[in-house]
Amino acid sequence: MRQQSTRKRSSRFRIFRLLFFAGLLMTLACIFLVSTLGSQKFGGLHKLILEAAGPVQKVVASGVNYLGSFKQEYLDVLAVGEENKRLWQELQESRALVHKSREAMATNARLRKLLAFKDSSDLPMVAATVIGKDPSMWFRSLIIDRGTSDGVFKGSPVTNSEGIVGQVLTASPHYSKVLLAIAPSSAIDVLLQKSRVRGILKGTGSQTYRLEYVLKTVEVEEGDVVVTAGYGGMFPTGLPVGVVSKVIRKRRGMFHEIEVRPSVDYKTLEYLFVLQRKEPVPQ
Amino acid sequence: MIVLVFTIISLLLVVIQTSVCMLHPTWVAAPDLYYILLAYLAYRLPLMSSLVVLFFLGCFLDVFSGIILGMYALFCFSSFFLLRFIAQKMPVSESFYQVPLIGVSYLVMSWCAYVVTSFLVPGGLVEWVWWKMMLRTGLIVLCAYPLFWLLERIQYRLAKGIFSWKKFRVRTDNRYRA
Repeated sequence: MRQQSTRKRSSRFRIFRLLFFAGLLMTLACIFLVSTLGSQKFGGLHKLILEAAGPVQKVVASGVNYLGSFKQEYLDVLAVGEENKRLWQELQESRALVHKSREAMATNARLRKLLAFKDSSDLPMVAATVIGKDPSMWFRSLIIDRGTSDGVFKGSPVTNSEGIVGQVLTASPHYSKVLLAIAPSSAIDVLLQKSRVRGILKGTGSQTYRLEYVLKTVEVEEGDVVVTAGYGGMFPTGLPVGVVSKVIRKRRGMFHEIEVRPSVDYKTLEYLFVLQRKEPVPQ
Repeated sequence: MIVLVFTIISLLLVVIQTSVCMLHPTWVAAPDLYYILLAYLAYRLPLMSSLVVLFFLGCFLDVFSGIILGMYALFCFSSFFLLRFIAQKMPVSESFYQVPLIGVSYLVMSWCAYVVTSFLVPGGLVEWVWWKMMLRTGLIVLCAYPLFWLLERIQYRLAKGIFSWKKFRVRTDNRYRA
């Protein structure tokens, strides 16, 4: 009986304590609410809460940001294959365009050079394009797209902006065969520009000429410029032919052995000029 | 028909050789495709048809190359008869043996032509260089197999008829002799 009354008393006390604290909290909360609503002041408690919640918010926010960027990166990786393909295609197109532009620029430069040469020269000439090269090992000739209807005849000199290339060997109404000056069967009357000494320039089949019939008494030096002599009326006087690259002085014989480096680069022949005539040169 | 087609082929080969294979006038590594055609004519085609095609081939070459008219015609005919003679006398007529023979005959005939031409036009030819000629010969042998295959296909097609009108011939239902 005694024990039962003691239990009853303690439970009542517990309920009282609970109600007391609840009432106290409610009172404090009401006071706090009333005071906050009334003064609208960011008090110490607010600051304390903010200081305590701030780091948590910071961690959560950075986590969310990280997740956001991770998602974005993942999506980027998914899209990067497609973009890579597109960029490769663009790169290929750009490269092709650059190549085309370079080619156009190079052609433009060449044509400008040719035009400047044509403008600077008062000789009547017609531009021609190389359309074929002699396939044999023993001859050196070209086919060009100009013929007798353009004033091109057998013997017409062929040049480019750098100098003499050769002469027309045969011509049809619209096409001609040009014997290159490097052909062994070619012979051109030339002058050493400095000493005005005459010689015969012969081809060797390779990228050099041989200057013949220059007497040993004549002083010839490497670097001397060789130009056309203009004798016989085949070539006009003073067209550049090449530069003396080697002089071999031998004890025997009357003449020098002279090698001449062509002023024309035979490896890059594309456009040429044929000096026009009204009729073929009598042979 | 076969003469016309092979004449056009010969023109095409000469044009390809002069414009595509020759990068510049002193270029060495260009195969003499016309010589492979010449060998094919000697090995595979009837004599008369071959001679007509050769005549035109010689003319094309004389126009596009060289300074002595008729030189190529002579070269082509002599090479043709040499190859034909060897092909007829040779016990084996397989391409495996015939193709190297093209290279050997090219080298021999070129050397003969060079000697004769230098005798007729002294100083008019570029110097004979063995390694260059060997390179050209090698290129001919290399190109001979694919070109022979192509020419054989063309000849086979020509033999069947380009336009097979037989396909469209109306047949009776009777498949037995009357």
